[in-house]
Amino acid sequence: MKPYNTLKEWMALGALKGLGVESNKRNYRKIRVTLFSTIMAITIVPLVMIAGLSYYNYNDLLIKEERDQLESRVIGSIRNISAMMENLKTVILFTARQDRYSELIIEANLEKLFVRLKQHYAFFADIGVIDSNGIQQSYYGSYDLAGNDYSNEQWFKEVLAKGIFISNVYLGYRQVPHFTIAVSSYDPNIRKQWVLRTTIDASTLQKFINTIKTDITDDIFLIDQDGVLQTSSALYGEALSLYKEEEAVKNGYSFSSVLYGEALSFYKEEVAAKNGYSFFKTVENYFHGTGKIKNTPWTLVLVEKRYVHHQDWLTFRNRLVITVISCIFIDVLIVHGLVSLLTNLIRRSDENHLKLLQEAEHSDRLASIGRLAAGVGHEINNPLAIINEKAGLAEDLLAITPDFEYKKTIADCLEGIGKSVTRCSTITHRLLGFAKRQEVNNQKLQINDILEEVMVFLENSMLTNRIKIDAQLQADLPEVVSDQVQLQQVFFNILNNAIDAVGKDGKISVMSHTVAGDIRVIIQDDGPGIGEDVLPHIFEPFFTTKESDKGTGLGLSITYGLIKKLGGDITVRSHVGRGTAFTVTIPV
Amino acid sequence: MKPQNKEQIRVLIADDEVEFITTLGARLKLRGFETTAVSSGIAALKAIEKDPPDVLVLDLKMPDLTGLEVLAKVKEDVPAIEVIILTGHGSFEAGKEGMEQGAFDYIMKPVDLNQLITTIEEAYLQGKAA
Repeated sequence: MKPYNTLKEWMALGALKGLGVESNKRNYRKIRVTLFSTIMAITIVPLVMIAGLSYYNYNDLLIKEERDQLESRVIGSIRNISAMMENLKTVILFTARQDRYSELIIEANLEKLFVRLKQHYAFFADIGVIDSNGIQQSYYGSYDLAGNDYSNEQWFKEVLAKGIFISNVYLGYRQVPHFTIAVSSYDPNIRKQWVLRTTIDASTLQKFINTIKTDITDDIFLIDQDGVLQTSSALYGEALSLYKEEEAVKNGYSFSSVLYGEALSFYKEEVAAKNGYSFFKTVENYFHGTGKIKNTPWTLVLVEKRYVHHQDWLTFRNRLVITVISCIFIDVLIVHGLVSLLTNLIRRSDENHLKLLQEAEHSDRLASIGRLAAGVGHEINNPLAIINEKAGLAEDLLAITPDFEYKKTIADCLEGIGKSVTRCSTITHRLLGFAKRQEVNNQKLQINDILEEVMVFLENSMLTNRIKIDAQLQADLPEVVSDQVQLQQVFFNILNNAIDAVGKDGKISVMSHTVAGDIRVIIQDDGPGIGEDVLPHIFEPFFTTKESDKGTGLGLSITYGLIKKLGGDITVRSHVGRGTAFTVTIPV
Repeated sequence: MKPQNKEQIRVLIADDEVEFITTLGARLKLRGFETTAVSSGIAALKAIEKDPPDVLVLDLKMPDLTGLEVLAKVKEDVPAIEVIILTGHGSFEAGKEGMEQGAFDYIMKPVDLNQLITTIEEAYLQGKAA
């Protein structure tokens, strides 16, 4: 793979795109939003699903329980009413004993019977005896109905066929609700059927209903096949009004078919007959239970305005809502925190990554400059050696030559060449030293000893410039295994630079301490500082801000090369006008 | 500059820089050494076979055989010859390797002639002692 020379080049080639670093910046907002919505969806969807499931399951459970209760109440009520009706029918059947026809067609006897009945059962309104041809033979009551012909009446045919007929409630001639019970009997004396017909005050039914009405029942009433109320209803009005959907809607109660399908099947006999009873649940928590009462045209309707478990249901629903909302709230908080944490981690990791790349690029550049310098140094060394030898030979020969006019001048020239060669070789040797020259001569060392030696060595130039040195050396530094001479050179170079930087009356502080197991030496001056444009280049060979005769620009690059070779690190921080601090880290 | 009166030390100089070896050879001759100069590793080995010198001054970088190869061969065939490595390389490692293979010392170019002479004399004395 072709190595990329610079970070910019690398990024330009899109190498960083694979790492998600696009044009040097990842869209953290997008990551945050995506992460947040994904985690929220993953956590909230099951929560809502479970909550919904609980909601419907509990609702179903309560409804079922409620229905069961209502069902048993409806059945109980129907039994009660049936029993009362049976009782009534028994009385009438007993009255219409088979052989009493002859006796009862005499109105005086009928009157006696009626009076006796009235004593026990006040609700009888009138009584009549009809022969097999439908002609009323005798009658006792408020009207003169004797001689009426009922032969074409539907009820008459029915009573002859079935033996008993119970009519719907109707408004009689007196405009009072009534219903009729007629029974037929076979008289063996006349060998004919005859019919006893009684009219009963409909308030009787109301009384029956009232006796079975309890506190928990909101409304209970009877309707006929056509949905006409037979007893008064708290919700649907007085008897003989219609129990109809429109009516219910108008009153704010509407019927729905949530549980049992067709709304008005309620009225249909076949449904009632098939099930015996049926149930409706209304929208507004109304329960309607209905049941056909056997052998009568009536259907019992039981309405419960609010079902018994309403309070349970409300409590459950509130708890569920509170639980779900608090779960979502906590979820949002946790997910938000988590997403922030993750996004920050990614951001920090990106930043670190970029920083590492930049550092790698920087040390790569320094290394290649070092290699270049070493190469140049080597290439120059050979011709330099030739110049050196040629000049040396000329000097040698000059020495054994007798004096001549320009001998002195030539000797001076050759000496000058020799000095220049020495200067050049100093430079090339240093250049080569930047690469790798000296052997690392490892031994156990005290960094503080080395620092003190270097400070003593430079004491003279510090005194000359009246520079104050402030040494804060941690007493119990661990020993390091490193090269003494090379470390001396490192600290010498840095301290020497600091002395040059502060000029006269400056202050230099030298600190040593342990940091995370390594030894850190900080050499800080209060000199003019290094400009931002210069700072990145100070470790490069030949980079110098000193006058040309004062520095070669190799000191810090050699320092850098040495400290890297020793496995340490060197960094610099500087503020123009405030000073510069070099930090050398040496592994223990 | 006084020609040496003591026993003549025979020095073989091997380096691909002809200008360098001829000049250095001339200067050593002026100081009483008996010098031969060759400009390649193979030439150096041939010269040694023909007439083994006391001291071999050997450049590390040569076109045919490297200094280290020549050194190895010399130490194998004629271990009595002391070898001084002369290099324009900054590479300490190469010098160190040479030392490990039996070289007497190594000196960086450009050479301080007096230092080289001292080293040659020391090498000669050691060769004699061995």
